[in-house]
Amino acid sequence: MIEETMTSEERIMAAVNLEMPDRVPIAPLMYQFVLKQKGMPIVPLAGGDPANWPKMMDAMKEMFDELGGYDAIYAAGVTWPMSSWRINSAPAGGYVTPGDRGISRDFSVQYEEREVMTVDDYDTIIDRGWNGFLSEYIPRASGISLEQLDAAEKALLAIYKENARYWLDRKIPVMSGALVISCEMTLSLARTLPKFMIDIHRHHDKVKAALEAMIPDFIQNTIDDVEASGIPWVTFSLERGSGAYFNLKIYEEMFFPQLKKLVDAFAARGFINVLHFDTDWTLNLPYLRELPARMCICELDSTSDIFKAKEILGGHMCIMGDVPPSLLSLGNTEEVIAYCEKLIDVVGRDGGFILSTGYECPVDAKYENVRAMIDTVKRYPAPRSR
Amino acid sequence: MINNDTKEENMSEIAEALANLEEDKVNELVKNRLDAGEDPMSLLDECRQGMDIVGDRYKAGEYFLSELIVSGEIFKESMNLIEPRMKAGQGSEQATKVVLGTVKGDIHNIGKDIVAILLKGAGFEVYDLGIDVPPQAFVDKLKETGAPILGMSGLLTPSFDSMKETVESVKEAGLRDKVKIVVGGGIVTEIVQRHTGVDAFTNDGLEGVEICRRFAKEMK
Repeated sequence: MIEETMTSEERIMAAVNLEMPDRVPIAPLMYQFVLKQKGMPIVPLAGGDPANWPKMMDAMKEMFDELGGYDAIYAAGVTWPMSSWRINSAPAGGYVTPGDRGISRDFSVQYEEREVMTVDDYDTIIDRGWNGFLSEYIPRASGISLEQLDAAEKALLAIYKENARYWLDRKIPVMSGALVISCEMTLSLARTLPKFMIDIHRHHDKVKAALEAMIPDFIQNTIDDVEASGIPWVTFSLERGSGAYFNLKIYEEMFFPQLKKLVDAFAARGFINVLHFDTDWTLNLPYLRELPARMCICELDSTSDIFKAKEILGGHMCIMGDVPPSLLSLGNTEEVIAYCEKLIDVVGRDGGFILSTGYECPVDAKYENVRAMIDTVKRYPAPRSR
Repeated sequence: MINNDTKEENMSEIAEALANLEEDKVNELVKNRLDAGEDPMSLLDECRQGMDIVGDRYKAGEYFLSELIVSGEIFKESMNLIEPRMKAGQGSEQATKVVLGTVKGDIHNIGKDIVAILLKGAGFEVYDLGIDVPPQAFVDKLKETGAPILGMSGLLTPSFDSMKETVESVKEAGLRDKVKIVVGGGIVTEIVQRHTGVDAFTNDGLEGVEICRRFAKEMK
């Protein structure tokens, strides 16, 4: 085993600052896997019966200790750090929980995409800004008043802060103080992906103007959320803008400028930005060099080329990832260990790397594979060039 | 062998407009030529040529998924104009049949829908069974249609067992040597191919079409 000379907090911050920690830090995104292992119903974050949340949080704590501990917690436990309705209540479809509609209880939580926003809604966003649009949209679409939502989400925030306190007292960083769904992802989820793509083709200027109009409220809402949670980390949910979907001209013109405005605003306040990239962003990686150095984590889900990311972003931002879900579910421990060692050898060289699950640890991951992933960072040192 | 430059030089007006994603122009051309009494099949062929060029541009890195989706939408609009003018059964005589669906337990439809659009654009006859499709439903449709190709989609790790279960059902029905099987999805890898015992896997819709083209040749 590698002799540990840093706390988890010091280790994670060394990686964010592109320094060489005592060993590679590990921060797996664990949620549904834990519920399954502990025989609990699989529900989305902040889902299921709130009466079960304390038991679910206990399961998170137990699993952390059973697995020998890791260096950071993604969401503090069973909810997101939402304090306002403004971002997290964005118009969207809904979750389908295992057991619903005859779907096996062994499945994962799934997101059902529905068209809940119209082309005309872009005009409202342009005219009234994001909060103005939502304050009109939410009561109309859901029948729930903004006051009711505020009360519900304040209750969620209190639970989040209590759960976060547990980890912070143990000197384990909590990597989410606010959650931002990127502007293009928000609109894409509300329109559905194919419709959003067709909208950009048919109503290019209108979509662009709507994306730009969302930014001031997105910035202020997130700052409010970070202040409410007291945790200066912002998690970005990024999927729909990647080169797996859109050409780089659209990315450069419509999506990246919004991401940069958000990250610049948060970095200026000292917030660390966890850029959670799902799908293949390999083509987009060079743009990330324009974001503030040492203030972001580029988190990849195993579909982007993490080794290329090291070449492009090494020396500029920390990289996090990316043990593939299929490997954790179907592979054997030797394959998991070999992949983790390769990550440490290549991406971990000279620091600036956090080993993690690619996306979330799958619900059906083999326990011994998860254990092997965690144990590997504790015994296998990263190389130094000098 | 026709190279892409030659293909682009020989494009018809409809094919060129579709390849350039000129939605209004394609609709207008198709409508006018149908009204002038032209053979719907030749217009369909021109639309397919346009889709073929879109595919070439995608492979060349000039087009991305969003252009595939937009071209698919334009193609669908053209088909809505052309199909009512076709005689019953016309256009499907030569088409290779593909049974397609998202596997049991998985409700993700976008990837599967994209592949369905691209397959239709490439001239395949697609039997799309939707989402959360039980193994027996795949088997029943393969028997009913005699399709030589089965495409299964899934976005979650538990879907891999549903894929495997479906392959087993195809085997039990005595169809495995008559049907080539491909699985697709964002996190599908070679390990999944090994686990499920399918013939191919892909993370890319257009590559899925190429795989089906290869299967169609092999099964003839």
